[in-house]
Amino acid sequence: MTDTASESRDAPVLAPVLEISGLTKTFDDKVVLDGVSLTVARGQTVCLLGPSGSGKSTLLRCVNWLEKPDQGTVLLCGERIGMRPGGVVPMGNAELAKLRMRMGTVFQHFNLWPHLTVLQNIIEAPVHVQKRRREEVIAEAEALLENVGLADKRDAFPSRLSGGQKQRVGIARALAMKPELLLFDEPTSALDPELVGEVVAVMKSLSQAGSTMLVVTHEMGFARETADKVVLMDGGRVVEEGGPEEFFGNPRTERARQFLQRYVSA
Amino acid sequence: MTLNAFLSLLNGAGVTISVSLAGIALGVPFGLALALLRWQRVPLLAPLATVYVSLLRSTPAVTLCLLIFFALPVIGIEIDALSAAVATLALNTAAFNCEIWRSGLMNFSRDQIEAARTFGMSGPLTFRRIIFPQLWRTCLPSLVNEMTLLIKSSTAIAVIGVAEITRAAIRIGAQTYDPLPPMLVATGIYIVLVLVFVGLQRFTERVYGHAGGAA
Amino acid sequence: MIRDFSLIWQSADRLLDGLINTVLLSLVGAVLALALGALLAIPLMASNPVLRLVSRGFVDLMRCVPFLMLTYLVYYGLPRLGLRFDNWTAGLVAIVVYNTAYMAEIIRGIWSRLERETIEAAVAFGFHGWRLVSRIILPQIVLAAGPMIGNQLIQIIKDTAFLTIIAVPELTHAANSIQAQYFIPFATFITAVLLYWALCMLVEVGVYAVERIAEKRR
Repeated sequence: MTDTASESRDAPVLAPVLEISGLTKTFDDKVVLDGVSLTVARGQTVCLLGPSGSGKSTLLRCVNWLEKPDQGTVLLCGERIGMRPGGVVPMGNAELAKLRMRMGTVFQHFNLWPHLTVLQNIIEAPVHVQKRRREEVIAEAEALLENVGLADKRDAFPSRLSGGQKQRVGIARALAMKPELLLFDEPTSALDPELVGEVVAVMKSLSQAGSTMLVVTHEMGFARETADKVVLMDGGRVVEEGGPEEFFGNPRTERARQFLQRYVSA
Repeated sequence: MTLNAFLSLLNGAGVTISVSLAGIALGVPFGLALALLRWQRVPLLAPLATVYVSLLRSTPAVTLCLLIFFALPVIGIEIDALSAAVATLALNTAAFNCEIWRSGLMNFSRDQIEAARTFGMSGPLTFRRIIFPQLWRTCLPSLVNEMTLLIKSSTAIAVIGVAEITRAAIRIGAQTYDPLPPMLVATGIYIVLVLVFVGLQRFTERVYGHAGGAA
Repeated sequence: MIRDFSLIWQSADRLLDGLINTVLLSLVGAVLALALGALLAIPLMASNPVLRLVSRGFVDLMRCVPFLMLTYLVYYGLPRLGLRFDNWTAGLVAIVVYNTAYMAEIIRGIWSRLERETIEAAVAFGFHGWRLVSRIILPQIVLAAGPMIGNQLIQIIKDTAFLTIIAVPELTHAANSIQAQYFIPFATFITAVLLYWALCMLVEVGVYAVERIAEKRR
């Protein structure tokens, strides 16, 4: 990706793929999100950084409404998620599902369906949720498996795969939805260090191919080299956001400097 | 339903309870003996115990009860209904108790047994002083759970005429031509009995750790 | 003794009839109880407290009542409500009602232990409602439930013996009538016990086969 964040933002009046504004979420008196706003433009890769407990994962879960925020709005390509137009009546499961199937989620613990083979995991939602033709989906799934380097694992069950392989299947499964937005929830945090590289490589190539991605991660190298925009969260708030050069090279806030000192030891 | 009928149901409850307790008193140690045979892999006896457990676990209590009551006299062992009832419940529950004791033994810490050996303790002494005092605590919740199941299967002894709760209810129903009231009362008595054991199981679980299933 | 067993051999057709009835009652009863139990598991897992309380009440009640007692209640009680069954059907109804509770509890137990994450992933991918249950939740339950459903089936096979008391012509009933006719209790009941054993072994072989399939998928 050669675009920078500011260029994308200057692009014509197309609504951003994701627009979060004023999101608040409280768990039993504990404020997890405290008025978070964030946009992801088409083709952008946005990395969400921050210490654990800073609300990153909750934010991601609010985007596909796995968690209901207390206040604030989430717009996917200009369409409000979770609430019917007017913002008073909550959406039913079927309406939510229609929006959810336009996003692809990659989970920290992979969350593959253990009773299905690798290929079946990938085609499950496109065939049974999106109701696309099975043959067509299988052909695409096979191509996706080829791309993530797992064509030979087509008929294996998830329990037979390594963590890195599972996560690459997880990514292929998300891509098979032809999503407008890819959500990554700490995709490498559950992996052994030597397996992180294979997953990061797949994510980089996706980013370069122009996918729109919102990535919660602790992989500073990935953020620095791939992100169009880096967002630092702490205590449920966005404390700094900017291009990776600026963020890693010359952070504006004291909090960002502290964070970088602790997490980028190199 | 008259007071007399109610009293004879209570009497039936007394029979159910005493026969069940007798079955438990015999079946729990017998189960332990079977488990020890299998755990120690005693030649000849261990495989016999395995077959016994497998056979008894798939034999209905009713069928076992009929077998004991009608067949033992044929091979020269006279047995009255009450003894046959106790024997049925004991032999049946022993098979299940064996599995509970055995899983407790299999999960027992090897290290402790080795430690006992290095202090020169003999096998039986190790069992008596080291293993058993811990074993019964871990097995108790599951054993109590099995007792609950035994109460429920004790209705089988009605088939040879033992006047326990079910039998008493049937008799009253036949006398009054109104079987439903005594049956509902009998059901209530069973519920109380089972709840007592479930309570006991919860208590032992809280004190000594967790059991496999519930009633 | 050999004479005894040859007498049994002569009555083999009656034992076989009994065996067939035992198998039929167990299988039909188990299948119906499993289907109804799966449906009952839904209110057991519901977030609505009234649904949960009512279904939980039924399940706990059945777990407190001896099977024979329920059989009597069905046999003597239902006719008063105007439902009149023959002995065989009354036995089957008792098996189904009783085991629906046990099957539901088995399914609920597995359901509540299912990894929440795999369900959440399905929701994130747009699954909801019946499709979520049938495509993601049920298959995982079925794969995990093999051994427990097998145990319950063995329990059902054994419970059918109680039905001799309401004169259902199942295996124990057949054995009892043969022994009463020829006065050969030992040989007949031993034969019956061995047949029960064989049935339960068959169930265990079946469970083992299902486990082979399930092992890879968890």
